[in-house]
Amino acid sequence: MNAIAVDSLTKIFGDFVAVDHVSFDVRKGEVFGFLGSNGAGKSTTIRILCGLLAPSRGTARVAGFDVGRAPEAVKSAIGYMSQKFSLYLDLPVQENLDFFGGAYGLSGRALASRAAEVVELCGLGDLGGRITGTLSGGVRQRLALACAILHRPRVLFLDEPTACVDPQARRLFWRVIRQLAGEGTTIFVTTHYLDEAEYCRRIGLMAAGRLIALDTPAALKRTYVPGRIYLARGRELGPAAAVLRGQPGVTAVEPFGAGLHLQVDPALWDKVRLAAALAAAGGREVSIEAGEPSLEDVFLAALGQAEKAA
Amino acid sequence: MISRPERFLRRVGAMAAKEVLHIQRDPRTLYMALGMPVIMLMLLGFGLSFDIERIPLLLADGDRSAASRELARSLLGSHELAAVDGSDASAAETALRRGQAMAALVIPAGFERELLAGRDSPVQLLVDGSDGNMARQIMGKVDAIVRAASQRRAGFAASPPLGVKVYTLWNPAGRSALFMVPGVAAYLLAIAAVLLTALTIAAEWERGSMEQLFASPVGRLEIVLGKLLPYLALGMLQLLLVITLGTTVFDVPIRGSLPVIFLAGLFFLAAMLGQGLFISVIARNQLVATQAGALSSLLPSLILSGMLVPIENMPRILQALTIVVPARYLVHALRTLMLKGGGLSVVALDLCAMLAFTVAILALATLRFKRRLA
Repeated sequence: MNAIAVDSLTKIFGDFVAVDHVSFDVRKGEVFGFLGSNGAGKSTTIRILCGLLAPSRGTARVAGFDVGRAPEAVKSAIGYMSQKFSLYLDLPVQENLDFFGGAYGLSGRALASRAAEVVELCGLGDLGGRITGTLSGGVRQRLALACAILHRPRVLFLDEPTACVDPQARRLFWRVIRQLAGEGTTIFVTTHYLDEAEYCRRIGLMAAGRLIALDTPAALKRTYVPGRIYLARGRELGPAAAVLRGQPGVTAVEPFGAGLHLQVDPALWDKVRLAAALAAAGGREVSIEAGEPSLEDVFLAALGQAEKAA
Repeated sequence: MISRPERFLRRVGAMAAKEVLHIQRDPRTLYMALGMPVIMLMLLGFGLSFDIERIPLLLADGDRSAASRELARSLLGSHELAAVDGSDASAAETALRRGQAMAALVIPAGFERELLAGRDSPVQLLVDGSDGNMARQIMGKVDAIVRAASQRRAGFAASPPLGVKVYTLWNPAGRSALFMVPGVAAYLLAIAAVLLTALTIAAEWERGSMEQLFASPVGRLEIVLGKLLPYLALGMLQLLLVITLGTTVFDVPIRGSLPVIFLAGLFFLAAMLGQGLFISVIARNQLVATQAGALSSLLPSLILSGMLVPIENMPRILQALTIVVPARYLVHALRTLMLKGGGLSVVALDLCAMLAFTVAILALATLRFKRRLA
């Protein structure tokens, strides 16, 4: 059974359509990434799925419960970590855990043992007595996560969990996320960081309230960035790039650092031919290596196509 | 599987326990709730006194006879008037203008002679009218003393055939503290209860943790109850403190039923907590909540409660407004219970009014709370 099933979900505020007929499914234990620029409708969608907002039209089922009809049942089954880590900064770590445990109906020995478990899982070690406000962003983030999973939610919603957190802390955080997913928790995460999206099994791309792309990162790259990516290095590549542009089988030539980012049709071009063409056009000391399309390429290409279609 | 009521209680308990932890971590809250009342009660109880005491009175005795000295003695015999040295009528005017005296009694030469001759012998009282309230009180006081003195002289036979004897019940000495302390209690409870709840809930919005709570199974009622219960307890403690101070420091009697006094306090606190909740649901921001909380609790409980100005003396429109000011009912209930005595029956109307306000404001707040949830 799908952990999340969304069908033609629509949310209208006044005359602004924040979410426009969005449909998708998320399987149990899947890490699902939800991408899009600010105002694309990511947070509104996540709030509807958490039972915080009622949908205007369409339906969404989370952990088997209809979010419009049974928001309270949904709330018991999910964990939610909002953009601001809404912890009580004046209280110590342990008291935050105790409170959120109590809010989800845990108490006594069950709460104590589960709290110890999530502290271990989230790498909070012996920080129990520290006042939350004195902790670094990365630790607070893991504490917020710990508070959100105390009640063993079946689906975990993370709304931009890694904003304002340093790269090392982000990596640690994702380690915990992958472990949770491995144990069967479904993860629904929105993020600004495209490198993080690579950790997701599948990605949904939102623009202006609509879901414009949905697939695994690899499939998205194949679809939106066809051909092969090469990176060219050397000297005096500027004038040579102009020659390459417009040749049959060359889809894109973009400056990339000191070199060039080339997107070509593999039937017409390979490493050797590209090097020869660049050298002939005046490039010196040319070297070519195969590159990987990034999700950034996918993002831009998908947005471009959506705008053209609109 | 645990039952629904048990889950409900557990969540309310978790909310309340967290609130207690917040209060423990922030001594300012405790200071505000327990320190402020002591200071305010002292300031208002001692400072806001309408009793006249040691009013500087200039005696311009132009007669210097046994009769004039006796009149002066009887005037100064009470502690309400204090003599200022002076000699004649011209000095009196200067002293009044300079503010050295607030009133002057001019006894003309020949005062005793006229009296002995059995003729009218008028004395002149000059009063500084720039403070109307004070002037009225001095006039009343001096008039009464002079009248008593002249009656003593004339003997029983000359007493007027008709007379009104005034007995003041419950506060014969007319001490301000006696009616101020119940008023101050209402004022202090109102401020602390409204401000503290408004602040604590607004903080939850500001922090973003309200959204987190909404995403959890904790219901609105559980949030509200969990938030209000600790402050209700704190408020009752505050009431106990004010009453203890009132009875010990200001000798305010408790002639009525003590449990009913606390019941009235409980009803009033519930009303004020509801008001704080309503403000915080609308304001959602600590700064605005502080301003609105202070204004909406301080002004009505000070001005519209009947604590300082009798409600009967207010303009019609303000009188109408006091109907929705819970402080009015608490002040009335406390004054009745403490000074006059009695129990539930004498303050039943006040209790009902406060209860009605509580129900109305909580309903409004919950309705509004729901809408914001969307």
